[in-house]
Amino acid sequence: MPDPHRDPTLEHIDADGAIGEALDGIGPTRAGFLRTTALGSAALLAGLADVAPAARGPKQDTAILNYALVFEHLQAGFYTEAESLGTIKSMDAERELWARTLGAHERAHVKILKEVLGRRAVARPFFDYRGVTEDPDGFTRTAVAMEDLTVALLAGQAPRVSKPELRSAFFSLLTVEARHAAWARRIVGAEPVAEAFDEPKTLAEVDRVVRSTRFLVSRPRRESRRSPRFTG
Amino acid sequence: MTSAGGSRRLPVALAAAAILVAVALVGVLAARLGDDAVRVQPAGDASQAREAALPEPVTPAFVPPAPRPLAGQENVARWSPVRRTAAIRSGPGGGEPVIGRLETRTPEGTRNLVLVLARRRDERGTLWVRARLPILENGAVGWVPRAALGGYGAVRTHLVVDRARFRATLFRDGSPVFRAVVGVGRLESPTPAGEFYVRNKLRRYANAFYGPVAFGTSARSATLTDWPAGGFVGIHGTNRPDLLPGRVSHGCIRLRNDDVLALERLMPVGTPLTIL
Repeated sequence: MPDPHRDPTLEHIDADGAIGEALDGIGPTRAGFLRTTALGSAALLAGLADVAPAARGPKQDTAILNYALVFEHLQAGFYTEAESLGTIKSMDAERELWARTLGAHERAHVKILKEVLGRRAVARPFFDYRGVTEDPDGFTRTAVAMEDLTVALLAGQAPRVSKPELRSAFFSLLTVEARHAAWARRIVGAEPVAEAFDEPKTLAEVDRVVRSTRFLVSRPRRESRRSPRFTG
Repeated sequence: MTSAGGSRRLPVALAAAAILVAVALVGVLAARLGDDAVRVQPAGDASQAREAALPEPVTPAFVPPAPRPLAGQENVARWSPVRRTAAIRSGPGGGEPVIGRLETRTPEGTRNLVLVLARRRDERGTLWVRARLPILENGAVGWVPRAALGGYGAVRTHLVVDRARFRATLFRDGSPVFRAVVGVGRLESPTPAGEFYVRNKLRRYANAFYGPVAFGTSARSATLTDWPAGGFVGIHGTNRPDLLPGRVSHGCIRLRNDDVLALERLMPVGTPLTIL
C-alpha cells in the first residue's frame, strides 16, 4: 500500500474526498468518459491510443504535442485559478513563491505549445477543479500529484516523438516538469526523489488517473438555436 | 696469401659493423618513433570515438518563453454553470433561510450560469459561493453550495447600458472596445436598472423580430412577470432599426443588427452587465 505522504497521487487525494464528490456527466466507462469529456482532449487520447508504436510520423507527433498541450492547460489553469482566487496568496511565503513560479512556467509551456501547433492546436478544455483550487492544503497536495503525473506522461511519450528536434524539446519540458515535481514534493514534506528510477505511465494509466480527478469536464452549453423567450 | 687476404677482410668487416650499427640506430629511432606513435595514436582514436558516440545535442524545435506572471485580475469576472438544482440561501450555511431555488437550465435550454462574487466556508468546512442570480428581486445575490456549481469560467469584459443616453458600451480590461445606440423599455415596461450578467447566446433561430443574434441576461422585467419564462430581459437585434434609439421595447435592449453582430464577436457569455 503506497504511503500517500511519501508518494501522493491524484487517486489518494480523490480518496481523501477533496475532489471525490460524485459528478453528473462522467460515465463509469472509458467510452462514457470519452463521450462526455472535452471533445478535443478525448479525441486526442483515443487517437494516441490507436496509433501503433511503430507508426511514428508527423501525425503522431502532432497528437502527442496536443496531448501535452491539454496537460499543460490542465496545470496552467490549476495554478492560475488558485492564484486569481487568492488561495496562493493565503499560503506562507515559501509556498507562495513555489506556486507562483510553477504557474508562470506552465503558462509559458502552454504558450509555446500553442505556437508550435498553430492551427492544429486543440482548444482549451473546460476544467472543474471542484474546490481544490480554493483550499490551500488540497491545492498543494494535488499539485504534487499533478506534477508527478506529468513527468510520467512525458517520460512515456517523449520517446514516441519521431522528429529529433521535437523530441529534444519534449525532453527539455520533461526535465523542467521533473524539477517542478521535486520542488512540490519538498514543499509538502515528501521525499523530493522517492525512487531511483522514474517509471513512465502508459496512456491507459494516465487516462485512468485523469478520469479519477474529474477535473476535465464537458464545456457547459451556453449557446442555442432556440428562439428567445425574452420580453422583446 | 693468407695475411694479404686478412688485411683485405678488415675494411670489409669494419664496413659491415658500421652498417650494423647504423641499422641498429635506425631501428632504435624507429622504435622510439614507433613508441611515440603508439602513445599518440590511442588518444587520437578515443577522440574520434567520442565524436562518433557523442554527437552535438540536437537543437530543440522550440524553447519556452520566459515564465509569464499572472496578469492583473482587477477586471476579471467569474461565472460558473449550475451543475445541480440547489436552494439559494441568504448566508453561507445550510441553516440559513432559503430565498429561492437555482435551476440547471435557462428557458432556452442552455446551462444556467451564475456570476461568482465571493466564497466562504461554513463552520462545518463546506464551501459556499456568493453569486449574482437570475431571480427576482432584480440583481439578487445569495449563497449556494460550491458543490452545486461546476468549474469557473473567466471573462475580462463588462457591458454597460445607459438607458438615459440610449447607449451600450463594452469594456475589455477596463477600456471601451465597442459602442452602439440602443433601444430600451417603454415607460410602462422599463428595462430594469442594476447589476446583471449575460447567461446565454442564441443564433440561427427563425424569428426576425430578434435580429440575427440574441443574448439572454439574468435581468427580469419587474412589470411583465407573467410573461412566458418569467419575463427575462435580452439583448438582441431588430427588424425595426428605424425605431432606434428610443424607448421602444418591452424591457429588452435592442441593437441594430450590424451592431449586435459586432457585439457577438466581442462579448462572451458570462460578461457582467450594468444597466444605468
